[in-house]
Parts: sequence; structure tokens; C-alpha cells
Amino acid sequence: MGPRRLRNLLSDRTPIGAVEWVGAGGLPDGVPAPLGAAWRARLHCFDPDAARTQLRESGTKVTWSALPTHPTFLTDDVVPAPVLFRRGRPIDEAAPAVAIVGTRRPSGTGREIARELGLGLAEAGVTVVSGLALGIDGAAHEGALLADAAPPVAFVGGGTDVVYPKRHLGLWDRMVDAGTVAGEAPPAAPPAPWRFPARNRLIAAAADIVVVVESRAAGGSLLTVDEAIRRDRQVMAVPGSLRNPAAAGTNSLLADGCAPVLAVDDVLTALGLSQVERETRRDRVEVPPAPSAAAARVLSACDDGPASIDRLSARSGLAVGEVLAAVSELLVAGAVVDDGARVRRA
Amino acid sequence: MLATISSATLVGVDGRPVSVEVHVADGLPGFTIVGLPDASCREARDRVRAALVSSGRTWPVKRITVNLAPGSMPKIGAGLDLPIAIGVLMASGQIPATSDLGAFGELGLDGSVRAVPGALPLADAIPADRVLVPAIDAHVVGLVIGARACPVRALTDVVASLADHCPWPDPPPSPVAPAMPEGPDMADVRGQPAARLALEYAAAGGHHLLLVGPPGAGKTMLARRLPGLLPALDPDQAMEVTRVHSAAGLSLPHGLVWQPPFRAPHHSASMAALVGGGSGSARPGEVSAASNGVLFLDELGEFAPSVLDALRQPLEEGVVRVARAGGTTEQPARVLLVAAMNPCPCGVGGEIGCRCPPHTRARYARRVSGPLLDRIDLMVHVDRPQAGDLLGGAAEPSSAVAERVAMVRSLARERGVRCNAELHGERLEQAAPLEPDARDVLEQALLNGQLSGRGLRRTLCVARTIRDLDDGGPSLRPADVLRAIGFRARVPLGGSDG
Repeated sequence: MGPRRLRNLLSDRTPIGAVEWVGAGGLPDGVPAPLGAAWRARLHCFDPDAARTQLRESGTKVTWSALPTHPTFLTDDVVPAPVLFRRGRPIDEAAPAVAIVGTRRPSGTGREIARELGLGLAEAGVTVVSGLALGIDGAAHEGALLADAAPPVAFVGGGTDVVYPKRHLGLWDRMVDAGTVAGEAPPAAPPAPWRFPARNRLIAAAADIVVVVESRAAGGSLLTVDEAIRRDRQVMAVPGSLRNPAAAGTNSLLADGCAPVLAVDDVLTALGLSQVERETRRDRVEVPPAPSAAAARVLSACDDGPASIDRLSARSGLAVGEVLAAVSELLVAGAVVDDGARVRRA
Repeated sequence: MLATISSATLVGVDGRPVSVEVHVADGLPGFTIVGLPDASCREARDRVRAALVSSGRTWPVKRITVNLAPGSMPKIGAGLDLPIAIGVLMASGQIPATSDLGAFGELGLDGSVRAVPGALPLADAIPADRVLVPAIDAHVVGLVIGARACPVRALTDVVASLADHCPWPDPPPSPVAPAMPEGPDMADVRGQPAARLALEYAAAGGHHLLLVGPPGAGKTMLARRLPGLLPALDPDQAMEVTRVHSAAGLSLPHGLVWQPPFRAPHHSASMAALVGGGSGSARPGEVSAASNGVLFLDELGEFAPSVLDALRQPLEEGVVRVARAGGTTEQPARVLLVAAMNPCPCGVGGEIGCRCPPHTRARYARRVSGPLLDRIDLMVHVDRPQAGDLLGGAAEPSSAVAERVAMVRSLARERGVRCNAELHGERLEQAAPLEPDARDVLEQALLNGQLSGRGLRRTLCVARTIRDLDDGGPSLRPADVLRAIGFRARVPLGGSDG
């Protein structure tokens, strides 16, 4: 059943009322009789009590379009969502919301940017909306949870109690604890591929601005962008390297005239929240002075971009052993991060 | 009539004495072997019979029973051919009965005596005054039993000496110990300063090393240069290595093995091939063959995870205990582990240009378990060398590095261990006192979760090696500890989550 017919059914009935009405032979206007018969056949296998128990046990709340608690952005949408299943807190519609979307296979830098954006936006009281997928989505949620400020919202493709991808089990639980995990699919529904494009429209509908961090040339996040444009939401993109295939989609968005995101403040300004002048903003936050002279030299060598120990040694003119000691020192101080191959400024 | 010859069979890397009893009596002609012979041992019947006839002796048309005592221990291999043949000759009166005679060797159908694996431990286990050994193995066997060894080339030699009182044939000239062969040299390595340093630390302190990098970066080339940095074995180590290599059936063309072994099993190796064992037997594996030397696992991520995890106990304890139905054996496994792997299947490692989807990268990284990584002290990322490095002049040669390595190893011996990586408990506390600032550094690293408990001990050992290489001072400075932490496997392979 598509969302339009579902909305007609639920416009003046409760879900249980609708089940009973259809079971008793009722059909909304424009539904052909054979389809009605198919609905009734399915209803024979439906047990309202079992469904209620399942909802209660999985901690899932349901809202539908007739309820005042149902988010208005879903009822007023061009493709409205008449039913929403949710675990965690109710969605705060009053707060500004920004969707952070992107590829499931980002570069290390892309992942960090998504995290920083999520952190910065949540700290500024913005609801971070995303899809709990691998890559950019997960990193954005991680960052938003780290802020421990505005609760983030995730719209997922399957049931809200079906963790997908499995690797996000821990993140999923933390999202339920400190934010919201919501979707149109009932509990235990498997994350079928057709549900994800529909999920993308919820993300676009819930957000005031959609920020794309990294997207491939034909990435799924560009579908979210299309949904956002359909709803007249502003789309912003983070520029990436020309040699980074994970940034090809975002760079072509920028070429098409979409607004660039160079820092969290760009998004906050677009939301009308930030008064910070562009000039002052660019100044780099200085890391606390490095404890040793070698560490300071290595730190400044990191400014030319991520580098291996060998490269840092060549750039700073220090011996490898000294660079290693300096990097460990900076790691402990939190001034640099190391992905095993390359060291970069934190 | 009854004849008894001493012999031995191989269990793991040790010989176990076997008494070969041959009984020749009237009755229906036949030839039976009892006492848990394996397939190759049972086939001795046909080889012994043909060898005897080929050597001009007569096969007794009688009832022949061979008992291999003790009856509860499985006997493996063809090494019992020679004692059975001598026993048959004695029991049938074709040569005079001689007490206290030992023998082992495989027989050819023409009566020639062939070498068997494990000549050295076998000879060591035979208690007899005179031990007949295959002439090919004589120079190795002579190392442990000296003049008791009588080399024989064929069954006719035995008959000539025992029946006709000819002198025993002379042992073949012992091979001249060759000068240390020229291995690949560190001077060929261009650039790669971090990897060079890691190799030096690994050689000096016996710390396990993992090289990670894209294909063509020179990981294998670097690892092959490690044996050239290690000092020659001392006599005890040389004997241990020779015993294991003999038991493993490796060729020993120069008698004692003085060079640290370098074993590089292919990544298709099974668990039995790597740690030892096999169906019913307990053959030494690659980790034992590499004992006192280097075990190089190229393409670590391609090894079966269960095979890699079987290495955890030997790496910690320095011995492999292989248990089979026939008994348990203990085999030496004090190896320096050097492993090399790509950061992901395509080799780029999650950077720009990597073609691997995230779950493929994650699966590749999971193939090397955390507990195994925790036992690796030095992890270094090897990049493809840059053009400037490739065209640069020659680097420091192996001989210069080997001198420093030998110096650090001698310091370790003064502390009562073979190398710094073996320092434990009280000995470690005495050998590596921490300066107050260094203690703060370690405390911070432990608080940040950069080190585990095992990691702490191993980091201290590496820091000790670093100080030894620097100026040999008594205590550990913050810089030594920081360098050691810098080389530890800090992050999971394949990048962070997702």
C-alpha cells in the first residue's frame, strides 16, 4: 500500500479502526475491488494484539497523520508519510534541522569533516538528520552524539529495531538513547532496497538544509539532493579534491551552483543562526603549544598535509626516531591523529 | 633364533629408542611385523627381502616375526629397514650375533642404505656402543655421537664387516664449513628510513615486526634483509636448529647450521605445516624450523585466520606443544616473527584511489586478530619510495647495522636473556628502570587506551632496545618510551570504522 492510499484510510480513523473497517468490507474511493480483496486476504493473517505486543517490546511508538503529535513536515509533504514508527525521543520540530548525507565509502578526510559538522551543528542546537548508513551518515551521527546537545534524528529504511548495517549496532543503540531512530517500516521489517529511496525523502522533508559531504558521481545521496530540490530545501556541498572519486558528485553539485560549505559556520549562517564574520572565522584554532621543540617542528610539518613518518622526517629534517617520539607525544596531547599510515593535524 | 638390534623412531623433534626383535623359526614360511608400524614401516617387508637377496644373501624359508618394542608407541617411516635386515641375517645365522648393535636407515631394493629424516635425533636416542648410520648422514650424526657412528653405504658393507671382519668403511670427508654466504644487503634499500629503523630494532631486540604498505613498496625486500643483520648462532643454538632441521627432513649440506634460519612459508600453509603435527605424527612445523631465526609471513592477510591464531601461544612461550593420539611433543619455537601485508585487498588502504568497499576492507583487517596484533611490537607503514630516494646514493650496509645489533644482543646476554624481547617481570624492572618523566608518558598512554597490559611490558622491552642502541644508558628516558609507543600497532588495520 502506497502512502497516498494509507493517508486516505487514516484520515478519519485510528489504525485499528481502519483495520476493522476494511475487514468489514469498507474501501476508500478509487481503490479497485480486486485490490480490496487482496487487502482483506492479508488482514486474515494480521493479529492486532501481537502487533501491539511487538511495538511495546521493541520500545517503538507510532504516530499517524490524524494525531497532533505526528510531525507536520510529514503530513504537509508532497509525498506525505501517514505513519511514522519511532524509537527514542519525539522529534523536536521547533529546532532548526540540517541533514548531513554522503557516500557510504568516504575518504578518511570526508569522514572527519562529517563528524566535525555533526559535532558543530549539534553544539549550536541544530538537529542533525541523517540515515545511519555506513560512511558519512554514521560519522555525522557520531559527531552529533559527541556534542551531547541537540538530539540527532535518524531515518532508517527497515524496521527501527532492525540494525542495518550490523556494524552500527553500538551507534544505533546510542541514537535510541540520546536521539531518535524513525522510519515508515513496522518493527522487524527487513531493510528492503525499495525502502531506501522513500527513506531519503523523509530526510529531505525533515531538514531545513541538506549538506552533502562526499558523494560519488552517481551516488545515492544525489537522490536525497533531488528530493530536497523538489521540496525547495537549500542544498549545500563540501568541496573535495579533484583526484578524490568520492567527491566527484559533490564537486559537480558545486559546479551547478550549489552553496559551498567551508566550515560549520557556513551552515549556521545559512540557517540564520551565526553572526560570525567570515574573515575572523578562517583563523585556525591554535593547538596548545607543543611540549618539545621536536614536536613543534613535526606539528608544523603536518601543515603541508597528511604524511607518513618517512615524509615527516624529510619535511622536518629530524631523524626518524625523533619524529616517532614527537608523533607519540602529539598523539597523547591530541594534537594529531594517525590512521596507521599517515599522520595529520587533529 | 632370536636377534635384537637397537634403533629409534622420530616423535616430533626427538628420537625415541625402539628395540627391533627378529625371531626366525620353523613353520609355515611368512614374514610379519608387529608393534604399531605405520604404512611406510610395514612396507619394510618387501624392501628388506629384495635388499637381502640383491646383496647375495639367502632369504630364510621360515616363519619370521619382527617385533618393534615398545609396542604401544607408533613407529614412523622407513628408518627401521636396516635394523630389520640385520636382525633377519643374524637370526638366520648368516652373520654372527653381535650384542649392543644399533642401526637405522632405509634400504633400496639393490641393498643400498638411504638417508632418513631426523638422523641426528635418531642417533642420539640409540643407546648402543656401535650405531650403523647411512653414510650420507654420517657427518651430521658424528656431531652428537662421535666415533660410535659407523657409516654404511650398503647392506654388503654390514655383512663384510660383521661376517668377514673387514674394517668399517671410512666416513665421507666432513664438509668444509663455508664462510657466511653473502645475503641481500641493506645498502640496496633506498629511502625507507622508518622501515630501516624498525628492522634494526627488530634484529637487535628480537621484537616481532609487521610491515604494512601498498604492493611494490619493498616490504618483502626489506624482510629478506633481516637475517643478514642477526649474529651467527652460538653452539647450543646451532645444535638445536640442526636437530630440528634434521627431524623436519631439511637438507643439511654443511653439517651444523650456524646461520639463523629464515623460513618463509606460503600463505596457503595449513596449521600442521606452520606449528607442526600431522595425522598421527608430530612433524616439526615452520615455526620450529625457524626457531632461533626469522619466520617471515608474507601476505599475512591471506593466511587462514585459524592458522594465524595458532601462532599466538608459540610466540608467547617460545615452544610449541603438539598433542597427538601417540603422545605430546615439545618443539622449540623461539622465532622472530616478521610479517608483511597490504592495508586492503587492492593495496591502497582506504585512501583516495582505493577500490575496496568498506566491508571488504573491514573483513581483510579482521583476518589478523587483535590478540596476534598485540604481540607485534613494531608496526611500520612502508610507502613506495619517491623518485629522489630511488636515485640517491648507497645507504648504510648490513655489516654496519649488524655490528650495532651484536652489541645490543651482548648487553641482553649480560641481563640473562637471549634478547631484550624476552625480558620479563623482575628482570625487566631491573634492566629497564623508568625515569620519572618517562613514567608520566606511559601513564598517559595507558589512560588514553593506547597500551594494553601486555603492550606495556612489550613497550618497555622495545624502549630498552632503543636505549641500548643509542648509548646503552641504565634507565629509560621519555624519548625512548615515546619512540617505542610510536612503533606499536596503534590503530586497527584498514582505517577506522565504516
